This record gives sequence, C-alpha cells and structure tokens, in this order.
Amino acid sequence: MSLVNLAHVCSHLNNATKARLSLTSIPNSNLHLKLCLAMQNSGYLSSVVRGGPTPPPAHPILGYPAANDEAEGVEAVTRDNVASRRLWLGLKYWKNESVLGKVKMVSKPTRRVNIDVEGLRRVVRGEDAGSVGGLRSPGESLFLSTDRGILEARECVEKKIGGLVLCRVL
Amino acid sequence: MSFARPARCLFCNFSRNAIPGTRVPRRQFHPTPAPLSNRKPKIPSVKAPEKQNGSSSRQDLKPEDFKAYTEEETAHLAKEYSAAQMEAIKAGEAAISPKDLSEQSVRRTDPYRFKYLDDFSVIEPGIDRHVRAPETNSDYNFKLKSEDQFIEDFGRFFAESNEDIRPADFVRFAESLRLTEGKEENELNPHSALVPDLFGPGETIDEPRVEERKTAAEKGEKERSLEAEELTDALKSLLLATGYTERQVRELRTKTLVSHSVVNQTRLGKVRRAYRLSVAGNGNGLLGIGEGKSEEAADAKIQSQYRAIRNMQPVPRYENRTIFGDVKGKVGAVELQLMHRPPGFGLRTQHLIYEMCRAAGIHDLAARVNRSRNKMNTVKAAYEALMSQRDPEEVARARGKKMVDVRKVYYAGKV
Repeated sequence: MSLVNLAHVCSHLNNATKARLSLTSIPNSNLHLKLCLAMQNSGYLSSVVRGGPTPPPAHPILGYPAANDEAEGVEAVTRDNVASRRLWLGLKYWKNESVLGKVKMVSKPTRRVNIDVEGLRRVVRGEDAGSVGGLRSPGESLFLSTDRGILEARECVEKKIGGLVLCRVL
Repeated sequence: MSFARPARCLFCNFSRNAIPGTRVPRRQFHPTPAPLSNRKPKIPSVKAPEKQNGSSSRQDLKPEDFKAYTEEETAHLAKEYSAAQMEAIKAGEAAISPKDLSEQSVRRTDPYRFKYLDDFSVIEPGIDRHVRAPETNSDYNFKLKSEDQFIEDFGRFFAESNEDIRPADFVRFAESLRLTEGKEENELNPHSALVPDLFGPGETIDEPRVEERKTAAEKGEKERSLEAEELTDALKSLLLATGYTERQVRELRTKTLVSHSVVNQTRLGKVRRAYRLSVAGNGNGLLGIGEGKSEEAADAKIQSQYRAIRNMQPVPRYENRTIFGDVKGKVGAVELQLMHRPPGFGLRTQHLIYEMCRAAGIHDLAARVNRSRNKMNTVKAAYEALMSQRDPEEVARARGKKMVDVRKVYYAGKV
C-alpha cells in the first residue's frame, strides 16, 4: 500500500477537477481501484474503468467509458498488459461545479493514521478525534482502508470497524 | 422365492376379475399403449336416460310446457280472484314469454354456475358495487322540440297557473323551459370536447391575480408618491431599483463597519476622501455589503448603505439560525473560517462578523480569522464565506445520494 502514489492520485484528481476535465487517468493498482470504486459508490465519480494507455471508448448512451459496456467490453488484465493498465475515471460536475471538491490525504507516507470505531463515531458526528478532524460540512466524507476493503467513514461506523484513514473528500 | 407361476384355470384368464391381488405393470414390448378399459372409472358413468329420470321435473323444460290457461282454468280462477286481479294475471302471463320461462327459470347445472343461489336482478347495497351516476351528461337521442310541443308547454303553463300571471312567473317559466327532448343534463351541462381551463379568469401559475397585482402596484405607487417630496434622488433611485417602500428601507438593519479616509495622490496634491463600508440585512436571511467614497463623510455613509441595500442577497441558513457546514473565505491576506454551532451557542465572533450575522439573522456561529485581520477584507471575506455555503439538497442531487437531516428526524421536524 503505497501512500506516496495515493498522494499523487489525490493531487492529480484536484488538478483534474480544477482543469474541469471529464475524464482522467491514474496509475493502476488495487488500492487505487478500490478507493475509486468507493468514491464512485459515494457518487463522486461517474465511472471507473481499467483500460490501457489510451482512453477506452465512450459508452454509446452514457457518453463516458463504462465498465459494463457490452458493445466494447473491457480488455482483460493479463501478465503481458498489466504494466500498461491505467484507471480511467469519469469526473462529475453539477451546476458548474465539480462534485469532487477537494481530495486531501489524512495519512501521510511518513505517518499513517489509524482510527477505531469510537473515534470514527466522533468524527462522523463532526467532532475531532485525535489528528482526524470531524466531518463538519454537508457532503464531506472520509475514506478508510479496513479489513473489509476501502469504505466510507459512515459505512465503517455502521459495520463497527476502524482502520487506516486514507483521504478526506469535500 | 419361486418364479414359477401357480397353475391356473385356463378360463380364468378371460375374466380379469378372477386375477387375485393388484396387477403389477409389466414392461410392454410393443408400442401400443396399455389397455385401460379394464380400469374402473373413478366416477361411475351414468347413462343419459338414467340421468333424465333421476333429475327434477323442472329440468329441460320446453316452451310448449308453458301453456296459456284454458277456459276451465280461467273460470276456476275467476271464482277466487276479482276482475281486476284477473286482468293483472292475464297481463303477467302475457308479459313473460314461455321461451324465457323455459330458459331462465331453470337452475343451472353447467360448470360455470355460481356456487350459491342469488337473485341477480336486484342490487344489494352491501354486497354489490354502487350504481354510479352515468359519467357523461350526453344524450345521443335528444331532439329539438317541435312547435306543437312548445305550444303544449305554453298551454300547460297557462292552464296550471292562476289567472293573475305576474311577469316574474312568466320569466321563470321561460328560463326553465326546455328546448330539447331527452336528458335534462344534456341541455344544461352538455359535454365539451375542449380541455377545461387550467386557471380561472385572471389567474396565472405563480403570480397573484392580475387585479391583486395591480392594486399592490397602485398601493406602492401611492405610498411612494406621498413620500416623494422629502426623498433625495439617491433614495428615489434606490426605491425604484429595489421596489421597497421608504418605510421598508428604514426598517432594514444597516451598519457602517469600516470607516477611514483614502487619499488620491495627483500632481496637484493629495485628494482626501472618506471611505465607508456598510452591511445591510433584513434580519431574516438577506445580507449585502456596500462601499461608498465621497468627499463628505455623511455622503459616503449614505452611499455605502444604499449600495449595501442594493446588493442584498439571500444567505443560506440552517434552521434559520446557523450556517450549513463550516466555510472558509479568503480576501487578500485575510483568511477566515466560519463554523456552525448548536442552538443557543450565540455569536462568538469578532465584532465585524457579529454585526454581519445580526444583519443576516444568524444566531449561532463561531469564526476564526487567520493571518491578516484587515477590517475591510474581513467583512468581504466573511461575506464570501457566507455565500459559499453548500446546499445539502444540491450536494445530494450532485452525488445521486439520499441525504437525511438527522436533527430533523430526531425532533420529528419540529426544529
């Protein structure tokens, strides 16, 4: 789990939303993929597709690449092409503003921040817990790496699991 | 176990009943299906003539069975019944044809018969569906009355009414006189193929009625005209631009927060002017800021206040007391943070932001002003922060997620 690469991804996403891109790509890794899927699940991203160095073709109806595109299909990951895989993310915009506001790392490569359920409960309620600030704005979320995959803080509280705090999205 | 069959009478094979015990199905070596004729049917077959004999005499009635009364019978009946009753009996006999009697007075035996006895000619209110009024008023067989019918109507009117006919009576008669024959509703409220109007006369979808709007505008003009003599040009243009009356403008909360003098250096020397920055709000969610510069301090103040009133914009407020989430603002070197707080917390902020919150009608707020604390930029940054609040509804729609205000749920919407 390389938080260095994750930090690069976070800053890349910030740059991409500021540049108002609709599609961007990040290096492929299981951590990135799972985080992106969690963000897609939370509604921050419109699509997450694993593709090659060139963007995958857009879905005929949706207008952006989709992982479940039946016409085009997604190229299977093999030993030969795994090094060239990238994750292609569809960014969302609503009323002239990007849905993905700002992605900020909480854990740093030099300092990993873990949090237990008690702390997470405080965070979800908007209070600070240790070095993790509370979720105090509407639509703010925190993504954690847990035993059961990468989850949003509220899901973690629901499942009563703590974990490594990855990043905060506003 | 012995596979040998017991010796049997040769003739016994011809009668199946003689085989003792159950028959075990054996494999057939030919494609002909196994004979089933020897199996006893579950329901014993009843021969048709038997059935006819066994059933009641009412079954299978023919029209010929319903004969008219013979003369003897009528004579016999006449002893029992009066002449009028005899007439009624005759009429009843004539009304129902023997064919209907034979077909309909028989109890049904078909598989689709009802499992209960009932008289379907009567509508029972508790069981049957309501008999609704017909859906349309249309009568397709209506006719215009002929002249003779009109004459008849007039004749009936004159015949029924007393001798002293007042004009009012005649008017009532003329109004209630029908021009057509057929259903009355067809004439009074006929069917129209046109779509009914969405709005009544003078109504629109969101605006008040035309007359109300007009009266409101006239009222405003009257009020304005009464006070116009004392108004300055600046105030007049303000009232014109905002649509407020002078009284409404006076009721707004305005506060001059920043006042200092500014200097313009020309080749002739320094030109000093007064600078004022004011905020204006209605104490109920509207807030604006305005700057004014003038040689006269009073002018600058008025100017800034009027500009603030013109710039008033709605500030999103959570529960009409605090803000949605924590917001940040930055103008110049002033970086500040506004934080929402629970009910009863109060305004624990510095005086500039406090006055802005008072004007806007925010009651619970905390603020932190970092880096520079320049007054002018603090006010501007706070305004920027207040306006940059994210609406939870918009966030939910943008993300495609359902959001629930837990406080509202907990207090059952009474907050």
